[in-house]
Amino acid sequence: MSFICKRLVWFCVFLGALPAMAQTPAGPSIPTTTSAINSPTPMSQRVVHYEIDAKYNAKAHTVDADETLTYHNLTGQPQDTFPFHLYLNAFQPTSTWLREGKREGTRNQDFDKWDPKSYGSSEIKSLEVIGQGDLTSQLQFIQPDDNNKDDHTVVQVHLPKPIPPDGYVQFKIKFHDQFPKTLERTGWDRDSIVAGQWFPKVGVWWHGAWNCHQFHAYTEFFADFGVYDVKITVPQNEVVGASGIEVSDVNNPDGTKTLSYHGDDIHDFAWTASPHYKIVEDTFNGSMGPVKIRVMLQPGHMFLADRHTRIVQQTMTRFDHWYGPYPYKTLTVVDPEPGAQTFGMEYPTFITGGAGWFDPEGSVSEPEGVVEHEFGHQYWYGMVATNEFEDAWMDEGINQYTEAKVMDDIYTPSTSLFNHLWGMDAGERDGDRLFMLPVADLDPMTRKGWQFFDSDSYGGITYGKTAVVLLTLESIVGADTMQRAMHTYFMRYRFTHPVPEDFLKTIEEVSGKDLRWYFNQAVYGTAVLDFRVHKVSSVAVDWYKDDLKEKKGETAYLSNAWIQRKGDFVIPVDVEIKFDNGEKVREHWDAQDRWVRYQYQKKAKIESVEIDPDHKLQFDRNNFDNSYLVKADAAPANKLVHYWEFISQFMTQVVTWFLV
Amino acid sequence: MNENKSLLSAGAGVARRNLRYIIWFYLLSILFAWSGASGFATHAHDMMDHSLYSDGVLHGFHPAVLIEMMNRPEFGPTKSTTMPAMSFGILFLLVSLTFMPGVLLGYSSDHRISRDEFFRACGRNLWRFVRLFVMAAILVGVTVGLLSMGLDALAKAADNTNYERLPFFTNVAGWIIILLALTKIRVWFDLAATDVVLSDQSAVRKSVAFGFRAMRKNWLRLLGTYVAITLVAVAMLMVGIVLWNMIVPSSSIVGAFLVSQLMMLLLLAMRFWQRAAAVAFYVKEMAEPVLEMTPVSVVVAPVAL
Repeated sequence: MSFICKRLVWFCVFLGALPAMAQTPAGPSIPTTTSAINSPTPMSQRVVHYEIDAKYNAKAHTVDADETLTYHNLTGQPQDTFPFHLYLNAFQPTSTWLREGKREGTRNQDFDKWDPKSYGSSEIKSLEVIGQGDLTSQLQFIQPDDNNKDDHTVVQVHLPKPIPPDGYVQFKIKFHDQFPKTLERTGWDRDSIVAGQWFPKVGVWWHGAWNCHQFHAYTEFFADFGVYDVKITVPQNEVVGASGIEVSDVNNPDGTKTLSYHGDDIHDFAWTASPHYKIVEDTFNGSMGPVKIRVMLQPGHMFLADRHTRIVQQTMTRFDHWYGPYPYKTLTVVDPEPGAQTFGMEYPTFITGGAGWFDPEGSVSEPEGVVEHEFGHQYWYGMVATNEFEDAWMDEGINQYTEAKVMDDIYTPSTSLFNHLWGMDAGERDGDRLFMLPVADLDPMTRKGWQFFDSDSYGGITYGKTAVVLLTLESIVGADTMQRAMHTYFMRYRFTHPVPEDFLKTIEEVSGKDLRWYFNQAVYGTAVLDFRVHKVSSVAVDWYKDDLKEKKGETAYLSNAWIQRKGDFVIPVDVEIKFDNGEKVREHWDAQDRWVRYQYQKKAKIESVEIDPDHKLQFDRNNFDNSYLVKADAAPANKLVHYWEFISQFMTQVVTWFLV
Repeated sequence: MNENKSLLSAGAGVARRNLRYIIWFYLLSILFAWSGASGFATHAHDMMDHSLYSDGVLHGFHPAVLIEMMNRPEFGPTKSTTMPAMSFGILFLLVSLTFMPGVLLGYSSDHRISRDEFFRACGRNLWRFVRLFVMAAILVGVTVGLLSMGLDALAKAADNTNYERLPFFTNVAGWIIILLALTKIRVWFDLAATDVVLSDQSAVRKSVAFGFRAMRKNWLRLLGTYVAITLVAVAMLMVGIVLWNMIVPSSSIVGAFLVSQLMMLLLLAMRFWQRAAAVAFYVKEMAEPVLEMTPVSVVVAPVAL
């Protein structure tokens, strides 16, 4: 081969290598993959790339894993300190989570006695920063929220060399997890596991500081978007489901198998394994492309397969039309182990339902309500990734509102909770309002999750009040406008971390209305909405005449209706006065004063007065005094009294049966 | 089986001939239930009668209305509604205890006993029945306590399996066993009560021992009879509830009242049927040896002359 030929060959080799050189940058980076989404380009600003190789010991309920975290410093300033969540350390007797749980109770548990099976931990065996060496000894537990030195749910590492703005840092972490028997959201039950919050997870640089809260009894999570490549090795008899798409499933010679998953534009990764799951598959054809639905059911719940797939389809259709597209290629719906405290939980592209073997069709709270709710979180948490620690109402509450909308649309507003179940009807909004009533004035919606008065207040305000406040807002701006506002909010803030004002300003912008008067009271305040028909009277105009003979339709009456605003919440309201000749009069009161009196002179007496006759206000504290019937109707009370008699009579007879 | 059938029909015959007791006890039961619901009624009428919102429980049934009413401060604490119901329930139990001796005497008699005889039997046996009641209550308490502890342990073990329905079926099976045990105790003490009244036994422990022996000897026949009557009662309750739910319009208070009270009347009648069967058994099986001794007393009579 001549020299020229050799040069030509080398030149060709060089040319051939150019594309490869272009694809392999010198340092670490975050992948721009899109294989798990129906989009040709990434949809989020990707900050993290987690590569985890985890081995699950199904007998000991442990995981040993190697994690490589690549972090892109988009904070705009050098960073030399990185906090990590170690959520599983919450399941220890002295943790903040358990102290709060013991104080408040959580998920129907009062922790009367500590069960060693409830112990959970996440232990970092080693932490190395590429280029800076092993920093395991530098790890330090911090407690930014309550200074509880025994809480080990946040650990921090200080780097000798700061990471410059726009630079990358790679952490290589070996960790060991001990999963608890499920207390809340994560852990094992019998021979199954739902693994959530199971790996060391970096905090979020937010508003100029690290946001990495301790794990609290009733707060949830917050994380940056990125890419996840996770390998899970489990015994071969396990059926596995996880966030993202399944890339491979390889059997190993030692009786295990390794499944690989890939997720794009997600901010968490959960998985589940059980030898018992039965798989039902379906496809949803969304506006961005097909979504593979994988329902993982308990064997005894196969009769609920149709109800699961149907509610998923119905929910996804409405979200797609109303709020925006679901961009991921998969959705995994897990029906967890019966009785496990992992039911009703959301992770990106992965949700848990809550079915039982006895779920009568008329009760739409399970599985329909739970599945709908958790899917809604794909939008309000999954994509619109608000800070669940600090602004819980923005994920749970907004989601509760959209749940009411979706379920009301599928069923009806008065049957979306109980659909003629043994003669009973109840709607989502009834449930939300009742949830709120006992705690209506205890906390504002905007309170940080762990600072609520108690768990009832957290639940009642975050879920219940937010839902009814938004349903009421809908009646102020109009249902169509509200839907457009929600759509705008979703499309504008998906794959970001919006704050309350982003949401509220979007509604003002789309509606074109100044709604501060409402937001200040309903969202930021604790004022209670409570109207009342104080008094009603109809007196003959000629009452003073001795020979007055009242005759219907001929005698003139001076009628008065007093309406009182008992609560501090000021909101305009309609009042309907009905007369005994069938005539109705509508009044509109601005409710600025504490009371108003309407006076009429007609040849008819007042028959009834009703505040808010169209039932636009969803959070009045007492619905009974919002109307007044002049002529008492004892039938409803009689019916309840009769029920009460029957129940007490029955109980008495049963006791007497066995004792006398 | 034939014996069971005869005991069932004998008991039914006795109960039918003495229907007045069932009617009286039913009237007391409804009177006490009405009285026990007075607190609830006052609060409910105060809150609901002038409100349009109340209509939610009349046409259809919206539990939200009921829940909201019961949670309102002006409805009063739960105690104010549950305490009267409990008090009148206890009163019904005490009244049953007081008047049961008269009922048992009436059941054993082949003629209609006089009011005087009835109340005399009640007065004479009151303290004996209180003692019987205390013994039965202790036995019921201990039995339910021990069996439900065992049941809890079983249900917990069942909960650890992968068969989701097992805890439920374990509980159902466990409660059937508990109910059978309670029924057996009831047979025992019904026989003891009958013995107390009919043999004028002031040493209650002897009647209890008698009841135990009689039950042990004839347990299959007696338990079969009691269980059969209980099953009839359960079936009637279920049919009643289905009818109530399916046929009675939700706004028909009269319809609901008639169906529910018919259920209560029949439930009460079933229990009286059991007692009547116990008396019939006692009279037929246990009183025979006493009758055999009659010639002895006949022999004594001439001596007296």
